[in-house]
Amino acid sequence: MPLEPFTQSTPLTFGVELELQLVSLSDFDLTAASPDLLHLLARKPFPGNVTPEITESMIEINSSVQSTYPALLAELQEIRDTLVAAGDQLNIGIAGGGTHPFQHWSEQKIFPKARFEHLSSLYGYLAKQFTVFGQHVHIGCGDGDNAMYLLHALSRYIPHFIALSSSSPFVQGHDSHFDSARLNSVFAFPMSGRAPFMLSWAEFESAYFAKMERTGIVKSMKDFYWDLRPKPEYGTIELRVCDTPLTVERAAALAAYLQALCSYLLERFDEPPVEDDYLVYNYNRFQACRFGLEGAITHPKTYETVSLREDILATLNKMEPYAAALGSLDGLKHLALAAAHGSDATLLRQQYEQQGSVEGMVHAAINWFRGERRFRRR
Amino acid sequence: MLDLLPILTSLAWPFAIAIAWIAGEFGQRWTGLPRISFYGLVGFALGSPQLGILPLPDIGPVSMLADVAFGLILFELGYRINLHWLRTNPWIGVSGLAESLATFIAVYFIAGAFGSAQMTALMLASLSMATSPATVVRVINEQRSSGQVTERVLHLTAQNCVLAVFAFNVIVAFWIFRTFEDLGDAIWNSLVLLAMSILTGAVFGLAVPALLRGLRNPRQDATAAFALAVILLVALSYAGGLSPVVSTLAFGLVARHRRVAFSQAQRGFGALGELLTVLLFVFAASTLDWQKVAAGSLLAAVLVLARLVTKTAGVMAFSHLAGISWRKGALAGVALAPLSVFVILLLEHARLAGVHVVEELRSVAAVTMLLEVFGPIIIQRALVWAHEIPEPRPEASHAP
Repeated sequence: MPLEPFTQSTPLTFGVELELQLVSLSDFDLTAASPDLLHLLARKPFPGNVTPEITESMIEINSSVQSTYPALLAELQEIRDTLVAAGDQLNIGIAGGGTHPFQHWSEQKIFPKARFEHLSSLYGYLAKQFTVFGQHVHIGCGDGDNAMYLLHALSRYIPHFIALSSSSPFVQGHDSHFDSARLNSVFAFPMSGRAPFMLSWAEFESAYFAKMERTGIVKSMKDFYWDLRPKPEYGTIELRVCDTPLTVERAAALAAYLQALCSYLLERFDEPPVEDDYLVYNYNRFQACRFGLEGAITHPKTYETVSLREDILATLNKMEPYAAALGSLDGLKHLALAAAHGSDATLLRQQYEQQGSVEGMVHAAINWFRGERRFRRR
Repeated sequence: MLDLLPILTSLAWPFAIAIAWIAGEFGQRWTGLPRISFYGLVGFALGSPQLGILPLPDIGPVSMLADVAFGLILFELGYRINLHWLRTNPWIGVSGLAESLATFIAVYFIAGAFGSAQMTALMLASLSMATSPATVVRVINEQRSSGQVTERVLHLTAQNCVLAVFAFNVIVAFWIFRTFEDLGDAIWNSLVLLAMSILTGAVFGLAVPALLRGLRNPRQDATAAFALAVILLVALSYAGGLSPVVSTLAFGLVARHRRVAFSQAQRGFGALGELLTVLLFVFAASTLDWQKVAAGSLLAAVLVLARLVTKTAGVMAFSHLAGISWRKGALAGVALAPLSVFVILLLEHARLAGVHVVEELRSVAAVTMLLEVFGPIIIQRALVWAHEIPEPRPEASHAP
């Protein structure tokens, strides 16, 4: 089946997907609760959308297509409140965070759906080990060529999103010493990584996708697990490197940052992206995963090494006029504070030190996700 | 030759536990049924009235170990109960009250219809309200099940145990006084006993986590500390005439809700729990007498069925309000079937305390025998039908 044509979309409209953890409140381990939760949520209209994920201890929510940050934030908060209320009725804790700190992949149940069954039999334990939780942001590009341009122009900023969203320091009960250990699981998949360097949609369609399809390895865009991937059916590109943050407020702010960046990049002030930009890509990505905001990245054009935190703060500053025009200054302020004070990964490590256990850390994550609602229970 | 007898007697228990464990492992492998069903069968077969390998139950180390095993399971059950949930979703508690009450009424009338004396019928009715935590917790752990049926069965089991202990004590007190004027006293005494048991358990629930925090090593496995505390609490409860069922349940519950630092106790108390479970189920079934089982079998079959119906209908009636599907509500009700270990231990202690009405409860032997074997199977099936047990799936060895 050839690739569908790139749908026309309104540039800079955006939407957010969040994969969330379903946690047992008796031992704070992941629990296979998604069928029951989905059953209860189906009784009332749901703001946005909620769907099962590959294992039964995860659930995915997505917002509607929004054009402004305040509207996106309000919708994500409404989704959060609906989920938390349903979780309370079923004794299920709901939490953000890119990994569950002590779940064992061998104990996960695959959600009974044909596609998930297929993935599970193809990838074996990788599928269960893929019980990791990411935030995906979709952004409208207008047309396919814009999409390809943004896809490569954004590559320089990928470490920003990894560091700002990082919330997966612990894996299988231990500190991995990565701020985002989640991306290491994603890298195990053969079709992960980055998109091939092409700046025109027609070329991507005929010279790359059609060939790949002939190899028989892929059938649709869904089979690519790239950090940034075009979604022709929505007319968007999708950023897939973020860990699910601990709060929906951080998730909305990250989307606002991407929107402002795209608004800036589409003006094409910057030097256009070239294949050689990718020489530093994997190493910068590693720095962001491993050290988070403390990492150091190499500029793809000048090869100058800069502190990731400084680079983020400088970019946030530079984006202010664009954010002002889009009505998302508050979102950028939120991120500037996070960049200065530390990411969710830092917060989680602090909790671990205070509580002295991984269970205590999950308990704190559940309360953070609840937001204002956490005061309704001890 | 005569010298051989004491040696053989001293070998009886270790031998029985080994046989039961092997039967459980092979039985589970061949049939897929829960191991504890096989422990019960072995215990019954080796019991004194049957093959006579095991001695008559008395106050000895084995009976004490069985109490400890039960205490550990109740602690674990308490540790998995979330009181906030019962407050947030009151329909769970309501459905538990409804099914217990419906069971009480149904069993009372059925026993009466079969010609049981009023007192016997009342005792049967109060015992039938219960759900045995031993079977429920073991099967849930063994099958690694998770989901709403699992959660609700755990919470309803805890509630049913407390209700049954309360009702049973009221009726025993009433049987001792023999007059209706003293019914108020009987209820009051039972309430005081419950309150004292809860208080004692709660003190442990506060003290043990505090002690663990005092040791400043919350990352260390807390299994041993909790196990020791349960052993002590069980002994204290018996010495003080309290209900060990309620006190160990309260201990687990308070330990769960009062933890500031989280301490990880191994699920099922690891190897210790595993070992004591075999002993518990073998011991419980070994107290049954095949003649009594045979004598009460018709009434028992009717009671077991009636109890299945009332519990299923009671939970199912409120399932939609409580946020689950009718189907899962029905399955949660079905999964409340297990009863035996709880009843056997309760009656064993009543008998040792001199409550001789127990001898009249012939049909109880048959009910417990039926459910000793079928209880685990029923709850296992309910969890399978609810899709809450992970199914082993063959992984493809190459890309499809």
